[in-house]
Parts: sequence; C-alpha cells; structure tokens
Amino acid sequence: MIEKRVKVTNRLGLHARAAARLVHTANQFHSVLRLERVDDKATADAKSILSVLMLAASRGTELSAQAEGLDEAEAIDALSQLFSNGFGELEK
Amino acid sequence: MSGLLKRDLTEEHWHGLGVSEGHVLGRVLRIDNSSSHVYHAVLDEAEAKRELDRFHQALQAARQQLLAIKEKAENELGSEYAYIFDAHLLMLEDRKLCEEVENYIVREKANAEWALRVVADDLLAVYSSIKDDYLRARGSDIEDVTQRILSALTGNKPQYANLTRDAVVVSADLSPSAVAELDLQHARAITTDAGGWTSHTAIIARGLGIPAVVGLRDLYRRTRTGDRIIVNSYEGEVVLHPSAATLESYQRESASRKIPPRTSGVRHAPEPLRTIDGVDVVLRANVELPAEFEGVRTFGARGIGLYRSEFLLSQEGVLLSEDEQYEAYLEVATLAAADGATIRLFDLGGEKIHAGFGSERNPALGLRAIRFGLRNEDVLRTQVRAILRAAAKGRLDIVLPMVSDLSDVRRARAIIDDERLRLSGEGKEIGAIKVGAMIEVPSAVVLAGSIAKEVDFFSLGTNDLVQYMLAVDRGNDEVSDWFRSLHPAVLQSVVTVHQAAARASIPTVVCGEMASTPAYAVVLIGLGATDLSMTPAAIPRVARAVAGIKCAEAKAIASTCLGCSTADDVEQTVREQFLERWPQLFPPNSLPTPKSPSFSTQPERHIGR
Repeated sequence: MIEKRVKVTNRLGLHARAAARLVHTANQFHSVLRLERVDDKATADAKSILSVLMLAASRGTELSAQAEGLDEAEAIDALSQLFSNGFGELEK
Repeated sequence: MSGLLKRDLTEEHWHGLGVSEGHVLGRVLRIDNSSSHVYHAVLDEAEAKRELDRFHQALQAARQQLLAIKEKAENELGSEYAYIFDAHLLMLEDRKLCEEVENYIVREKANAEWALRVVADDLLAVYSSIKDDYLRARGSDIEDVTQRILSALTGNKPQYANLTRDAVVVSADLSPSAVAELDLQHARAITTDAGGWTSHTAIIARGLGIPAVVGLRDLYRRTRTGDRIIVNSYEGEVVLHPSAATLESYQRESASRKIPPRTSGVRHAPEPLRTIDGVDVVLRANVELPAEFEGVRTFGARGIGLYRSEFLLSQEGVLLSEDEQYEAYLEVATLAAADGATIRLFDLGGEKIHAGFGSERNPALGLRAIRFGLRNEDVLRTQVRAILRAAAKGRLDIVLPMVSDLSDVRRARAIIDDERLRLSGEGKEIGAIKVGAMIEVPSAVVLAGSIAKEVDFFSLGTNDLVQYMLAVDRGNDEVSDWFRSLHPAVLQSVVTVHQAAARASIPTVVCGEMASTPAYAVVLIGLGATDLSMTPAAIPRVARAVAGIKCAEAKAIASTCLGCSTADDVEQTVREQFLERWPQLFPPNSLPTPKSPSFSTQPERHIGR
C-alpha cells in the first residue's frame, strides 16, 4: 500500500463538483482507494461520492490518500494531481 | 374567478433571499415536488430476489432519465452546470448506496422501495449533521436521486404541467432535476419556501437567468395556481395578489428600468457613493451565512459592516473549535478584502450552547451576548483567539454586542488584551484589531459619551435599539403596532450616539434593518449617519436613493422629525416631505404610512426575514 498527504486547496472544499471529479478519476483505477482525514481519522471510499462528501472536507483540510493494488502508484499520482491543482477551480 | 370559495385576496408581502436577479410579474404555477409515499412489504426469499432485480432495473431507468436531463442541461445551460447531474449519476451508481440497499433487501426481506427509503434516510441523517452549510445542502441532491429511483420503481415518471408564458413556478422545495426538466425557457421566475444561495436550484436559476427568490417559508401553502404574483429578487421580495396601485408602480418601474432584467454576475468595484451635495456615504454588508457571501461581491458592498458570528453555531450544543472558527473568520476577511469586516462576538444566550440550559423567563433581557461571554470566559477567549489570529491575514475588527456601560467594555478588552499577549507568547501571528461597542441598550445611548472614549468605533444596532428603547418585543405580533423604527426617541438616540462618537473622533456604523429601507436610510443620513450596513441585496436600491438626494435636504427633514412627539407625526412628515422633494425617487408605496388606527390604510402583511 502507498500513501500520500494531500490538502484541499479550492475555496469550496470537496463539494459536489470537486467530489464528482475525484470519484470519476478514482473509478478509472483498479486499486482500492481511500481518503483519511488527518485530524479526526474519518475515512472515505474514494470511489463513492456519498462517502467522499461525508468527509465534509473544507478548504485547508489535510487528507491522507491511500491506494492498494496493481496500479496504486498511478492512482495516487492522479488523485494528488487533482488536489494540487484545486480540482481545476482555484481562483486566479 | 373559478373558485367556489371566496378568498381574501389582500396584497401580501413575503421576504426571502433573492438568489437570481430579476423583477417580474406573472401567474403562480404550483409545482408539487413532494415525496412519494413508501409502503413496507414483508416478502419470502424468492420475492426478495425479484426485488433485487427490480431495484437494478430502476437504477438503469433512472440512469437513462438522468443522462437525458444532463444533456438537456448541457444544451440549455452549458456544460459548467451539468456537473450537478454528474454528481447525481455518481450517487446513483454509488456502491455505498447500492450495496446497502441490496443488503437491506436480502437481510430484511423487504421491498426495494422500503429498503431504499430506509438507507436514504440514514444517509440524510448523517448529512444533516454536517457542520458545513454547503455540504449539508447536498442532502437535497440525495433526496432528489432517491425520489428518481422511487418513481422508477413504481413506474411513475414525474409529470410537469406545460408552462404558460407567464408562469412563476412556486414550490415548497424544488429539486434540481425538476428545475432542469421543466420547460424553463417559458418560466418567468422561481420561488421556493426552502433553500439558500448555494442550493443547486439557485445555481441553475442563475445559469438560466431566471429570477428566483428562496427561503420564503410558507408561501407555497398560501398560493393557488393562477394567482397574480410579483417576484422582485433585487429586494428578495414576493408580492402575492398585488393591488392595482402596486401593479401600476411595477409597470412604471419596469418601463424605466435600463438594465436588462436578465443580467447576472459580479458587478464592478463600487464607485465612491456620494449625495448630490458631495457627502460621502459608505454602504457595507450585514452577513450571517456563507450563503450570503456571494451577495457581498455581487451587490458591491464596501466590506462587511456586521458579521453575525453566532450563525456559525448552526447546531445546538456544538461549539466550534478555535481552528474551525479561525478558518471561518479567515474566509470572511478574504471576502471583505481591503474594506475589512467587523465581527460581532457571539450574540446568543445559553440555550444555544448547552443543551438543557435552563430557559430564562425573559431571554431578551437575560444572560446573552457579551454578558454570556463574560460569564463563560472559555467561549469568549476561544472566539477572540480565532479572530486575532485571522486578523493577521486580513482586516478584521471586533464589536461587543449588548454593552450596557463601560464595565462590560473594560472587562471584554482586558480579555482581548490578555489573549493578544498569550498568542504572541506562543509565537503565533496576530493582527491589529479595533474593538467597538454595539450601541443597542438605552443605558449605552445615555452613556455614549463615556463609552466613546474607550472604544475604537460604535455600531448602532437599530433592531435591538428600537426593541429596548420602546420596550416592545419585536417577535410579538400583538405589540407590532408599537414597534416603530421612526419613533422620535429612536431618532434622538441616533443623534446622541453620532454626536458622542464625533466628539471622541471615532466612527459610527449603523447596522440594522432600518438602513436597508431607502427612505429610512435617508432619514438616518439626515440624522448624521454616513456609514450604513445592511443586507447585501438592499445595497443597490439604497445606493440609488443616496445618490439622488442632497444631504442638506435630508438634514432639514430630520430636524423637523426630531421636533415631533409621536411616531405617527414623524412618519407623516417623512411621507409628505419625501413626496414633495423627491417624487421620482420615492413612489408613495416606498414610504411609511402612519399606523395608528385613525390613519389606518390598506393592511399589509410582512412575513419572513
């Protein structure tokens, strides 16, 4: 299993649009993908939008992205990319 | 008239939150979006298996419908809105939802409808406890998807009536997919009893450029399809059964409106606002919920004059940690940018903090606001620390609510100074903040001169000042005739407070609903106010009034008002003088009408915010 720290940087946090992109991306991989809040250890299945929304991750929330499976490295890269570009919606 | 029962068609005014701009007249089309009823059947093993198949087929059917809706939304709204239905599609395919429903069917041998309802209700309960308003609002998306699957199970497809050309859609709560499915090219406006700025219904209405007012509480129940209705989202107002006079002034206003009604989006940075005779006036925003943040920019507020921080505590008994508050204040500071934001310390009583806190016999005069903070220092200190830290990143000030004299100010300031030292000792970055006093208790008005020497600014809270000055409970309908913002005692207090502040060279911001009515705002300016804070949607209309008057004339009217001995006389003076001096700015229905029985005119209902 591999793990990487990511941070929610877009203003609205992991809201519907961002969560939809995240889940879309996660579903392209075979690995089991989980997100865990660093503060209270709440976890979510990154392939379930209901689960991801329930993390209620607002801007600034730190998460640990975890992947386990054959394509775990690619999956983690793809997810952390989404976080670092703020789901394509960072204000100028 | 087709109705058999005669109905009282008196004009009714309803107030909500304008979430998509426009001012239109139309006829009510009631859309019943209510949830379908679900029964519970107990099945045998074979039947339960069949239920699994039915559930999967329903998911398929729902998926097809959603894909069609998404395509329609993409064509009519553009792809930037279609994500809402991407999220719905993902919810439909969500493993968490599907697996739990399947497990429930198998385990409980229940029918698919019942299983889905139980699982969805559990999910909704979890969402409703989320502290973030935006994410909590996503519960309505889950309910929308649930309803879609339920109707696919029963084979019913929601049918929406064809819209007539002048239809104003009135609903208790409109689901986003209903909004997209309706033939909204023909809808004039949307109103809902529920909802806020971030509801997906509001977002879609903005995308379509259809005026929308939400949060109307109980309008749906009061309407019938076909009723005449005016929706004015600039003022967050809906007028049901408009009178002939109201219709006429609506026609006049829409004829003179230069801005096309279907424009939305952010306006440019506000020009300095001044009266014709060159007196600068600043208009700021009163803000409660993040849902209103967008309005601060849209309506061109000069920063936030009053942030009612107690609205952060959306759940009873749950206090936010210092870090959570820090994040919230940082967002407020970012939003207000260079103009800054004034954060009012929690204005609440014990009932909000401790579940089971004994109820007080007279809460308005009880242990609340700064009194509560001084009694519960940990709550006060946590909030002060969060504000001091956020102030390092933006311009924030603190205002102390419900101060009765200098002792409240001194005790609060000592705590603020103490936390300032402590934070610096801990090596944390803090910002320079100003500390002001809310002047809303009569004793503080009388002692304004001495208070002014030890605070950096005054915030004049007109709502509570009127309530306390006139000893009238503003929530009690029985005494609403006695609640008079234009009471001479209130006006004299406004002058006293401004003069005391001027002598101590500190600024005064008037924040309260009074400032959001153009005529009242002009009276306030006449009394010496130049800095007003109000609900963001009111800013454009107040700005229009301010730019169209001479301050000297407002002062002349105000001085006549100060000589009056009753509220009726003040209202009469305002009405006559405004009509005489500025007939084009203030149509008769925008002016106060004397309320005492001898002057009694057409009854008006003011409900809501």
